[in-house]
Amino acid sequence: MTATLRYEFLMQIRRPSLWIVYGLVFAVLVATLPYLTLDLGFRDADLVKAAMTTAAKLIMTLLPIVYGCMVADRLVRDRRLGVDAVLDSTPAGRTGRLIGKYVGVCAATAVPLALVYFGRAVVYTVTEGKPAALGWSAVVFLTSMLPGLIYLGALALIGPLLVPPMLFRVLFVIYWFWGNLIPATMMPTLSRTIFSATGDYASYGFFLQERLALYEGEPEAALDFLRPAFSPAVAWLWMGVMVALAVALLSAARLHAIRSES
Amino acid sequence: MRIEISQLTKTYKGGVHALDGLDLDVPTGMYGLLGSNGAGKTTLMRIMAGLLRPTSGSVRIGGHDITTTDGRLAVLRALGYLPQDVGVYPDLTARRFLDYIALLKGLDSRSARRRRIGELLEVVALTEQADRKLKGFSGGMLRRVGIAQALLADPRLLIVDEPTTGLDPEERIRFRTLLSQLAGDRTVLLSTHIVDDVAQTCRSLAVLAKGRLLFRGGVGELVAFADRRVWTVSTAGPAPAQGRIVAALPEGAGMRYRMVSLTRPAANAEPAEPTLEDGYLALMESAQATVPTP
Ligand SMILES: Nc1ncnc2c1ncn2[C@@H]1O[C@H](COP(=O)(O)OP(=O)(O)O)[C@@H](O)[C@H]1O
Ligand SMILES: [Mg+2]
Repeated sequence: MTATLRYEFLMQIRRPSLWIVYGLVFAVLVATLPYLTLDLGFRDADLVKAAMTTAAKLIMTLLPIVYGCMVADRLVRDRRLGVDAVLDSTPAGRTGRLIGKYVGVCAATAVPLALVYFGRAVVYTVTEGKPAALGWSAVVFLTSMLPGLIYLGALALIGPLLVPPMLFRVLFVIYWFWGNLIPATMMPTLSRTIFSATGDYASYGFFLQERLALYEGEPEAALDFLRPAFSPAVAWLWMGVMVALAVALLSAARLHAIRSES
Repeated sequence: MRIEISQLTKTYKGGVHALDGLDLDVPTGMYGLLGSNGAGKTTLMRIMAGLLRPTSGSVRIGGHDITTTDGRLAVLRALGYLPQDVGVYPDLTARRFLDYIALLKGLDSRSARRRRIGELLEVVALTEQADRKLKGFSGGMLRRVGIAQALLADPRLLIVDEPTTGLDPEERIRFRTLLSQLAGDRTVLLSTHIVDDVAQTCRSLAVLAKGRLLFRGGVGELVAFADRRVWTVSTAGPAPAQGRIVAALPEGAGMRYRMVSLTRPAANAEPAEPTLEDGYLALMESAQATVPTP
């Protein structure tokens, strides 16, 4: 498991396209969203906390698209390249290798995203002279961003077992906008539900409680029963849902492999 | 490691009977598995390498039943496997790739791993290219990386599937010589459709056709199959109608044919010394009469 983790991490992080695609989308992010000002209109008493949460929200709009697309080919490429026969005929356990691949690939793919986030936190610390930003950024990353990435990584690793990676990427982008970004009132959507990966449940549940008013008084939308009110308890629930989805997807992949062995 | 296969059957999802009640014992040493494309060689090897589950029948390798989890693991620990279409990660160097596979094979000590990889790169003559990315490697070089990979854990059983296909003549000879040298007290199972590869390296072999065993025994026994069945015929007219033409050489105004035939194919036919290829063809010839097409 650790060998696979290490090598999958290395191969992914050295992939030039990873950095190029992240770079391009990051440029779009800076051009279209207030990444530089971190101003989404929050007037929280704790400005540092609000700024770090804002940065997380902004990054979790566009960069997960790159994250998913870059993870997408990693599992199926073993078969495409024909390495699977070599790997599978070693005594290393297949479940361990799947977990190693998942953790290694996802960690490497999250590195540019984390750099964009923590880079902003460092800049904030320096320009505002508020070292607390570093602490808050770590907490916000772990609670608002990481659970979503855990789930999305499993989805993007496993999805291409069913459809080819290129098609999966198209579907993934559609899914991302439909299930995470569009307003809930536009059409039946997973946006803003407990299954959305953007991290709003943790951001609002833990860090922006004073801003709950933002979501109040909205017209009713389909699937509203999946949209409990923000609270720390629901934030924990959301984190659990993300991890559970990842575990379910990875288990499904193992079952799929065992079935297709025969 | 001795391999005991009994009543092994593999039916693919589409209903293809790739292996059909196969019984085979493979002793220690170099052993050839000969058969045309589609005979079931790859299927058999993938089953032995634990990549494919048999539909029925049993395979015991070194006493371990490969269909049990523990048995499979024990076999994999002793196994080196070179798949027919060996794949690598193009973005790794040869050394790095071998290091990864060595880790998966449980070579945990870094210094032991480094030493072993150095030795094997030497064996397959890739020391100079060891730190180049695999994406630039030729087919022959990849095959050599493949055999190095298979040898990492010093396996007692080496399974190589069509290792010489697509290699140029020099590489092919080098490669099969290397395999013979590796045999020693190992079991090396070499599958191929090239008769000459077996002729030059193996003392015993099995011939597979349509998932069934047509022959097993020594190379000499298979050659003997063609005894009094190989002929040379010189003719200026049409080729003899009966028998199978093995070779045709222009000769003066006519042709000189080498043929495998149960009976004298022409009045002027001369008996000739059989080779392994003749034996194989004679076997195929007589099998066609007895093995029904599924
Ligand atoms: N994955 C598969 N699914 C269905 N049929 C297969 C598969 N692999 C091989 N076959 C069929 O099984 C038979 C034996 O194939 P194979 O074992 O590859 O033979 P060989 O290696 O001797 O050329 C062939 O008829 C082939 O078409
Ligand atoms: Mg084959």
